Amino acid sequence: MFRYYLRLALLSLKRNPILSTLMVAAIGIGIGVCMTALTVYYLMSADPIPAKSSQLFAVQLDSWDPNQPVSEARPEQAPWQLTYRDAMALRESDIATHETAMYYSARIVVSENEAVPPFLAWVRLADADFFSMFGVPFLYGGPWSSEVDETARPVVVLSKRTNEQVFGGANSVGSDLQLDDQIYRVVGVLEEWNPIPKIYDVNNGPFNDTEDIFLPFSLAELASDRRSEGNTSCWKDEDITSYTGFLNSECVWIQYWAELDSPAQVREYQAFLDNYVREQQRLGRFERPLNNRLTSARDWLDVREVVRDDNRVLVSLAFMFLAVCVLNTVGLLLAKFAGKAPQISLRRALGASRGTTFAQYLVEIGLVGIAGGLLGLGLAFLGLAGVRSFEGEYSKLAHLDPVLVGAAILIALLSSLAAGLYPTWRACRIPPAAHLKTQ
Amino acid sequence: MLKMQHVSKIYRTDLVETHALRDFGVHVREGEFIAVTGPSGSGKTTFLNIAGLLETFDGGSYLLDGEDVGRLNDRRRSRVRNEKIGFIFQGFNLIPDLNVFDNVDVPLRYRGFDAAERRRRIESTLDLVGLGSRSKHIPAQLSGGQQQRVAIARALAGSPRILLADEPTGNLDSLMARQILELIEDINARGTTIVMVTHDPELARRAARSIHIIDGKVSDLEPFDPPAVAIEARASA
Amino acid sequence: MEIRPILSALLRNRTGAVLIALQIAVTLAVVINAAHIVKQRLDLIGRPTGMDVANIFEVHSFDFAGEFNYRERVRGDLELLRNMPGVRAATVMNQVPLSGGGSSSGYFREPEREGPEVAGNHFTVDEQAVDTLGVSLSAGRNFRLEEIDYMDLDNVDVDSVLVTAAFAERLFPDGDALGSTIYSGGGDPLTIIGIIEHMHGSWVDWEELDQVVLLPVYVEQDFVRYVVRTEPGRRDEVLGIVEQKLSELDRERAVRGVRSMEELAAESYRGDRMMAVLLTAVIFLLIAITALGIVGLASFSVKSRTKQIGTRRAIGASRFDIVRYFLVENWLITTGGVILGSVLAVAFNLWLVRTFELPKLDFIYIPLGILALWILGQLAVLGPARRAASIAPAIATRTV
Ligand SMILES: Nc1ncnc2c1ncn2[C@@H]1O[C@H](COP(=O)(O)OP(=O)(O)OP(=O)(O)O)[C@@H](O)[C@H]1O
Ligand SMILES: [Mg+2]
Repeated sequence: MFRYYLRLALLSLKRNPILSTLMVAAIGIGIGVCMTALTVYYLMSADPIPAKSSQLFAVQLDSWDPNQPVSEARPEQAPWQLTYRDAMALRESDIATHETAMYYSARIVVSENEAVPPFLAWVRLADADFFSMFGVPFLYGGPWSSEVDETARPVVVLSKRTNEQVFGGANSVGSDLQLDDQIYRVVGVLEEWNPIPKIYDVNNGPFNDTEDIFLPFSLAELASDRRSEGNTSCWKDEDITSYTGFLNSECVWIQYWAELDSPAQVREYQAFLDNYVREQQRLGRFERPLNNRLTSARDWLDVREVVRDDNRVLVSLAFMFLAVCVLNTVGLLLAKFAGKAPQISLRRALGASRGTTFAQYLVEIGLVGIAGGLLGLGLAFLGLAGVRSFEGEYSKLAHLDPVLVGAAILIALLSSLAAGLYPTWRACRIPPAAHLKTQ
Repeated sequence: MLKMQHVSKIYRTDLVETHALRDFGVHVREGEFIAVTGPSGSGKTTFLNIAGLLETFDGGSYLLDGEDVGRLNDRRRSRVRNEKIGFIFQGFNLIPDLNVFDNVDVPLRYRGFDAAERRRRIESTLDLVGLGSRSKHIPAQLSGGQQQRVAIARALAGSPRILLADEPTGNLDSLMARQILELIEDINARGTTIVMVTHDPELARRAARSIHIIDGKVSDLEPFDPPAVAIEARASA
Repeated sequence: MEIRPILSALLRNRTGAVLIALQIAVTLAVVINAAHIVKQRLDLIGRPTGMDVANIFEVHSFDFAGEFNYRERVRGDLELLRNMPGVRAATVMNQVPLSGGGSSSGYFREPEREGPEVAGNHFTVDEQAVDTLGVSLSAGRNFRLEEIDYMDLDNVDVDSVLVTAAFAERLFPDGDALGSTIYSGGGDPLTIIGIIEHMHGSWVDWEELDQVVLLPVYVEQDFVRYVVRTEPGRRDEVLGIVEQKLSELDRERAVRGVRSMEELAAESYRGDRMMAVLLTAVIFLLIAITALGIVGLASFSVKSRTKQIGTRRAIGASRFDIVRYFLVENWLITTGGVILGSVLAVAFNLWLVRTFELPKLDFIYIPLGILALWILGQLAVLGPARRAASIAPAIATRTV
């Protein structure tokens, strides 16, 4: 019977080519616009480390100005980053399964190879745990040992890209690499790794590329010539006249993450933070009310408002657009079924029940939905190519994946059903005798 | 075969209520050929629609083939229509998009026959109405009489127990009308009960029995009322 | 022709009309709000920056050899840059305005953070910065060559500053900024020696974008950012060879990062530009869809009313009467739609304002939108209406 309906549906679509094209176009354009907006939104708000996002916690301590909160707009919040001295203190604890302090900086890579001119590379200084916490895949070698986190040594992990640039993609573990005027030993080379959003540091461009080079955080103390290139915020009037002065200042610039595997561990770590701050309060720091926060990676993107309001506006407008397309299709279907009334009542007279009639037209509408969905996917490809042409972060935030393709088909079917239910219902209500009198 | 008692049908519109049938009673026996006559607006089509389960009625009872069909739900009604009743309309009512073969196929699809059975029935009924060679034509390529014969083939393909015809010859010239009537008589001779609405007294005379409807009621003055014995004889023949 | 019979015919067969009206309502709501956002973004992008954006670019030099002399490096490079044909001026800055990178701090009229605080986006510059950026002074004077000091990163300490008028007005509402002293936190006093008429700072999404402070200092670092302004129209020519020229001067350092200010600004406004482009596309697609919907339904109604129209013609309606019938009918439907749509548009805008802090709708958009949809509806229905008018009166006597 389904095949018969399918044949009838095709016949009926062919019978009114303009109307059919209009319907498919309406659904298709609606889906295209919707999917374009939705894809960017979906990728912006994606969880880049789904396996661990409930175990990794961003650590915040409220070390800000006693006279005003860090943000007037969100007074309940603590600064997003830590001071260097607090980060160093937290690193002493062994409550967390893994933990890492980190910041964003730059180095000049000087290759022995004359053909590769010196270049500026973006650097993340982090602890060895960073790699296992965020599931960073290695192509060669691995992270440095945790002793390096205690006693700084000049070791380096390269991104795949940097390894290709400097070593032509060969296994460079054990090789030397000059950064500025210092020689470092390569201990690991990463696989391609590009979490979107860049959850471990949304302060410095949540959609920026992963860094080119990773260095031990323990080197920070010595890096007076190459400081943080990331966001640095200070509130206190301190007479900073040296790098040491800066390291001991109240300026916040370090991101801090802890891996806590059970609620008990989270509670224990929270208590540890609170104790630490109380201790510091006795020393005259942390004059604000206790506000130490542990936020799971899952919630962090929301808290940090990584998805831009603009993208939410686009999604809401896109769905209103789809609503217009659906209304449009409802109108076209009504018109179409109105023209079919004699045939429907004839079929009813010949023994088609209401259910059969409904099924028949549902198949036709489903067909329109699928065609519209496919057209919509094509248009979404075009739309996303348009979005990608804006470059920057948008070149990463405008790709369809299987989930999105599935969503597109589903939305297409749902909208064509939404468009089709009322007209079909009306069509089925046509009494069998209504249009059989002499014409 | 078909028994209505005290059936009433009221059409309600915003302005008026029309009593299309009132206290309507009729009994059609198996194998009969009945003509229904009456002035325009008297309720003939209404009677036929109710008999064919195209419309519901307001009061009274209706037994079709011994089954009370007055209170069936839509699915059952559709089923009964499909299996027991064949329709022929004055306006042919073929589906313009479908060819002759597919038009006859429509009720068989709803019946759920397999492809071979459908083909057999379509071909044999088309042969019966003399259109075996036209099965790939679309309705617009046929004459009025041919179209009506396709409609008859469609009505017959499912081997209905009863054939309901509303002025089947109304749109045809007298020669064609006679041919169609002969076809219908032929079908009746094979045992199918026939109820035919007609304005044409000559056609009505050719039926075995005729009922006359005036103002939604069966008139007592039934012009031709052959003895019941004859009908019995015919039915058992 | 009267409206009443058309209206009552519409009301008797209202589903199609209601659908078109609803479609027009949502279309109006979306189009008005989208157009409002597009206009606002274009305004944002088109704001005057106070600078000669089209003729400015940056280029970086970084030394990696360890030992190097900053003063020699900068003196040599600047001399080369300033003498390049087509170059008008060049300076050294910590960041480029409009680029999204920069520093800001709070400034006070009193020492020790007393009194009102005003945020200022500060740049370190030399005496050619005013000419390089193309900003104009509305009062006071520019830095003198001898006022530019060399300092290291942890000890920046200057005496005089240039500030923008917007900054000056915020800190000195009485207009006595010129010559006054200001304090950045607890530091030493800074004298305002000149006022820049208008200039944008680093972050285009910052509300206080035009509160800029220029500090006369070279910060000694191995990373130097040169900002260059060329003669009008010669930017790309200079920009194309500058890397090579600087490298030739001294190969023991790297020269990179040639970017025009236009490019940097375009990146900063990327989100706004995308919003404007996407929403414009949405507006046009939506209008097209709605127009097609009207055409589709009107065509259908013409088709299903063929006999009726033929009859009307047979009893004396002119072609024009038929066209007018459809135009009036469409106008009635559209009017119903835009009335509902105006309410929707305002409600939707309120929601946008409340949820996303978007600016309030300018009410002029509503009548403009209504007018646009009226015209759109009339144009869309014209085709089907003319087809209806060409139906032959004889159709009435033919049985279908
Ligand atoms: N759908 C309807 N709504 C309202 N009244 C109806 C409807 N159908 C029929 N009627 C009324 O019911 C009465 C009987 O109509 P019916 O069609 O049965 O007459 P008929 O005997 O078939 O007439 P004709 O010989 O002209 O076909 C008429 O008065 C008619 O106006
Ligand atoms: Mg009749």
